Amino acid sequence: MAEAMADSYNGDSEPTTRTLLRRVLDTADTRTPRRRRSARVGAQKALLETPSSRRLSSPTKMNVRRHSHRVRSIGRLAHVHTSGNVEEQTPRTLLKNILLTAPESSIMRPESVVKPVPTPQVVQSSRRDSSRGSLELQLPELEPPTTLALGLLAPGRRKQRLRLSVFQQGMDQGLPLSQEPRGNASASSLTSSLNLTFATPLQPQSVQRPGLARRPPTRRAVDVGAFLQDLRDTSLALASPDPGKPAELLAGKAKKVDAHAVSFPNNSSAISGEDGVEPLQDGVDEEAEERMEESLSVSEVMDTTGTQGSVRTEKSKRHREMSEAVEAKEPEGSSGDEDISGRRASPELASSTTEFLQARQPQFLEPALPPSTAVLSSEPLEPLPTRLPPRARTPGPRPRQDPHKTGLSHYVKLFSFYAKMPMEKKALEMVEKCLDKYFQHLCDDLEVFAAHAGRKTVKPEDLELLMRRQGLVNDQVSLHVLVERYLPLEYRQLLIPCAFSGNSVFPAQ
Amino acid sequence: MAFSTTVSQRKHIKRKAPRGFLKRVFKRQKPHLRLETSGDLLVHLNCLLFVHRLAEETRMNAFENKCGVIKKEHVQAAAKVILKKSRG
Repeated sequence: MAEAMADSYNGDSEPTTRTLLRRVLDTADTRTPRRRRSARVGAQKALLETPSSRRLSSPTKMNVRRHSHRVRSIGRLAHVHTSGNVEEQTPRTLLKNILLTAPESSIMRPESVVKPVPTPQVVQSSRRDSSRGSLELQLPELEPPTTLALGLLAPGRRKQRLRLSVFQQGMDQGLPLSQEPRGNASASSLTSSLNLTFATPLQPQSVQRPGLARRPPTRRAVDVGAFLQDLRDTSLALASPDPGKPAELLAGKAKKVDAHAVSFPNNSSAISGEDGVEPLQDGVDEEAEERMEESLSVSEVMDTTGTQGSVRTEKSKRHREMSEAVEAKEPEGSSGDEDISGRRASPELASSTTEFLQARQPQFLEPALPPSTAVLSSEPLEPLPTRLPPRARTPGPRPRQDPHKTGLSHYVKLFSFYAKMPMEKKALEMVEKCLDKYFQHLCDDLEVFAAHAGRKTVKPEDLELLMRRQGLVNDQVSLHVLVERYLPLEYRQLLIPCAFSGNSVFPAQ
Repeated sequence: MAFSTTVSQRKHIKRKAPRGFLKRVFKRQKPHLRLETSGDLLVHLNCLLFVHRLAEETRMNAFENKCGVIKKEHVQAAAKVILKKSRG
């Protein structure tokens, strides 16, 4: 019965909350019409009498459902039957209030069932409230969600958000939220549509639940000016190398790792590393600035330690931690970041310290400074020094091996594909060795065959002979068969002579 | 018909022959010899068959040892057999 009535509901142009509520209000009075206005008045009175009476007498969920059934079946109740016979606090009065206060809004309606949902929800919520007096206060709250929910119930993707917002509202109003997630706008099941599904999709969750909001990561911009200032201060201090200063200068040099250029004196173990870093003063580089700032403090820390070993260990420690902290943007001078940026400097420092320790030439301190500064000026601004640390490796034999390896890797992949089983890395290396040996054997054999034929060029006949000797090609299986089996079409066409029109054969024999 | 038409694995095997690589290898090994154009395709075919046989043998070795993973020893034992076969 309700479903049949619901069918009639479809086809409305733009039912709104207002119209729905109107219908709700009218049901009690006019025994809501079934189809259109014309057909409504008489037939449905009887239908609605019982539910309306039930509604007034004992508000329960069932009544709401039936009521909503009626509501849905009503269709377009344009006429307003404002029956003011009931002035006490009833759902009708509440709905009336909603009607008066709710703004007229047109709602996108993908499914008809969507719309009636808010009204029963409102009714339900109003009933649920223990204190009737608070109903009117709460209803206006529900208004925006109800109006908004209609438009948003349709998209299934919003279900999660609907539920959450519904939950939030329910929490705010103390509503039980058992039915809340069920707001599937399915025309088939009217009962399911009765569940609370109104939501505030437009309101971001953070508005109602600040904890749920995702805050963007706070990033503090680097104050370039202050950093440059400090940079210049440290450079000024460069002239007089004393144990205290190098620590500060370290900050400036931290970025540029020019270990080779800086063969530094080692007056004291503590100074050596720091002095080496001094001439590595870099130009303007934001990250360098950060590092400088932080390495300042770091170098101070290093000063206090005062021993090479401790410096080295510090640097190595920071070096390890540096990699993690590289991406973070750090503000100047923050103690937490200082270590991080100090760690960034650490790889360079570490490399430089090793260099310095080996050099151990005090008199180079001053002459080293000008060349280092020259080096610094000439050096282009480099990006992160994290990439620089492993400088000792020579790029000599690498390009030799790589193309060979990449070519072999093709066959190694084929091997793993044919094997269809997981393989260890050592097994793959073994396969590479086997392939190397195989290629050697192959070339030797081809050479022998070509020489046997008196040629200096290896021809396909030699290959066929080789495969015959290997046992791949025999009287039952010919070479062409293998070609057809294993090679793709383009290669097959190149290898197997095929006759074409015009008395031509490709490839020519 | 071809064995290699269907690739059921998610990583798609390239069907191209590394012709440049093969030519380079041959040149490096035997600089005084020349390799013909279609010759390197047949060399590629030979390699495919070799790898195929090697993989089969390795798989059999692994099954015999009741291992789910191919280990270096399996490969080594298989390589001995197959290389001997492929000597020609």
